[in-house]
Amino acid sequence: MATPYLFIAPFYLLYVLFMLAPIGVALWLSLCEWVGLGTPHWVGLRNYHHLLTDGSFQRALGNTGVYVLVSVAVIVPAALLIAQALNVRGLRARDLWRTAYFVPMVVSPIVVALVFGLIFDRHFGLANAVLRALFGTGGVDWLGDPTMARVSICLVMVWRWTGYLTIFFLAGLQNVPRELYESASLDGAGRLRTFRAVTLPALRPVTAFVLVTSFIGAAQIFDEPYLLTGGGPSEATLSVAQFVYRAAFERQQFGYAAAAGVVLFAVVFTVSQLFNRLLGIGRPV
Amino acid sequence: MNPMNPGGRLGLLARRCLLYATLAALLAAFTAPLLWALSGSFKPRGDIFGYPPRLLPDPATWHNYRTLLSDQPFGRWFLMSTVVALTATAVSVFVCALAGYGFAKFRFAGRRLLFGVMFSSLSIPFAVILVPLFVILVKTGLGSPWFALIVPWVAPAFGIFMMQQYIVQGVPDEVLEAARIDGCGEFRIFLRIVLPLLRPSLGALGVWTFLQSYNSFLWPLVLVSDSEQYTLPLGLQTLFRAENRQYDLVLAGAVLAVLPAVAVFVRLRRQLLEGLSTGAVKG
Repeated sequence: MATPYLFIAPFYLLYVLFMLAPIGVALWLSLCEWVGLGTPHWVGLRNYHHLLTDGSFQRALGNTGVYVLVSVAVIVPAALLIAQALNVRGLRARDLWRTAYFVPMVVSPIVVALVFGLIFDRHFGLANAVLRALFGTGGVDWLGDPTMARVSICLVMVWRWTGYLTIFFLAGLQNVPRELYESASLDGAGRLRTFRAVTLPALRPVTAFVLVTSFIGAAQIFDEPYLLTGGGPSEATLSVAQFVYRAAFERQQFGYAAAAGVVLFAVVFTVSQLFNRLLGIGRPV
Repeated sequence: MNPMNPGGRLGLLARRCLLYATLAALLAAFTAPLLWALSGSFKPRGDIFGYPPRLLPDPATWHNYRTLLSDQPFGRWFLMSTVVALTATAVSVFVCALAGYGFAKFRFAGRRLLFGVMFSSLSIPFAVILVPLFVILVKTGLGSPWFALIVPWVAPAFGIFMMQQYIVQGVPDEVLEAARIDGCGEFRIFLRIVLPLLRPSLGALGVWTFLQSYNSFLWPLVLVSDSEQYTLPLGLQTLFRAENRQYDLVLAGAVLAVLPAVAVFVRLRRQLLEGLSTGAVKG
């Protein structure tokens, strides 16, 4: 009788200790003022009030919104297109392509940041050198100009995540029965109609999973902006996760950091639960 | 079928050429930055940012690698990262297989709810846990890297989800029934029958967990203050700052740091790439 519970017990033990308890503590801390030493001092909702009017937090939210948007509206469709290309019948070296596209995901974020720091260097970087060779001008301030810095972070995200998500779509496409395509072409359906009538419905579960995963991933992005631009210039690339980190570990505002974390949690958790419900994922088979 | 050419007027051969050209261009885009760093790691400091940029180092030198290995505690960072990642992987694979098996092969009261709770933990952003978890671990004296870099992360919901899907598909009920009739205990069945059947997917989950741990940055950044216990990413970041953002040494370090990860991945790529997607495909 107790057997199944024993099998899942280790997970729940860790879940309670290292997920639920911290969330509880976060909720409580978010209602306190605390510098990390001494006793936290109860301040009610004041931290949340401050967040509402904190320009940095609004910028962090906006930037994170951009990262989420790029992730969901650029990276996911790009991954789907690439997966389509890799699913062409009789394609040679399929293993080589998908493996190579996946490699950026294997690379440690610090290495990614070093590599792109090298490429995006304003004066001597490869990106500007290539632009100079092709167009004669290469003065793009990739990481120093607010807009360009945001674009650069997004480029790195595209580079890092696209091949990873492609794997999921490719597996989904390979799971679509060939007969469906054959009957569609017998019915005289064009390429676009086949895609809409056959491919997309068959890909529903994968698409749902990929959308939710990349939404959550982008919403809590930290490594790329922190390492590549430090959140700058003038907070143009600051993410919410870095806002939390900065408040707690650089400014000793633990309560304020906890409040920002709770806001992020509330948004991400609600949206992804809605997604899960709507798209019907996350039920045991 | 080829989405790169919706017009469809070109001949099959031309279409194939276009397809392969696109795939090759993507290959270049995904690998060129890494190759550029690889090439840079063999250049003397002054050449790394030389103009016009040279694709191949000339003269090529091992100087960066030699200096890094002799002057920096690179070996210690490497050992720290590897031991932490391997331990986390071993424990995590076991815990995930346990829970995945529990959800896949048993019907019990609260199963749906408990599974939902487990799955929903995927959507808890790390940023909300970061501060309180740090505080809890430090206050309870569990802030040692050996504990805190490993234990909280050994039961990832993604891994349980993946295992559950695998076990539903890959472990036939009849085998379990037969073992039960033979009087085999439940835990023995799991160890002797289920785990061996899962070997390929355990490999997939293992690579995934290893990479997660080996590459993690934010948590070690917060947690590890003693430079004696730096992991590779922390060591590289500190070195880059200490060297006044000079690239020669850190590029050599980056190459050495990435090699094991890429080697593990390339070696086990089939399992990983197929294992990652099984769960998601069935939904």
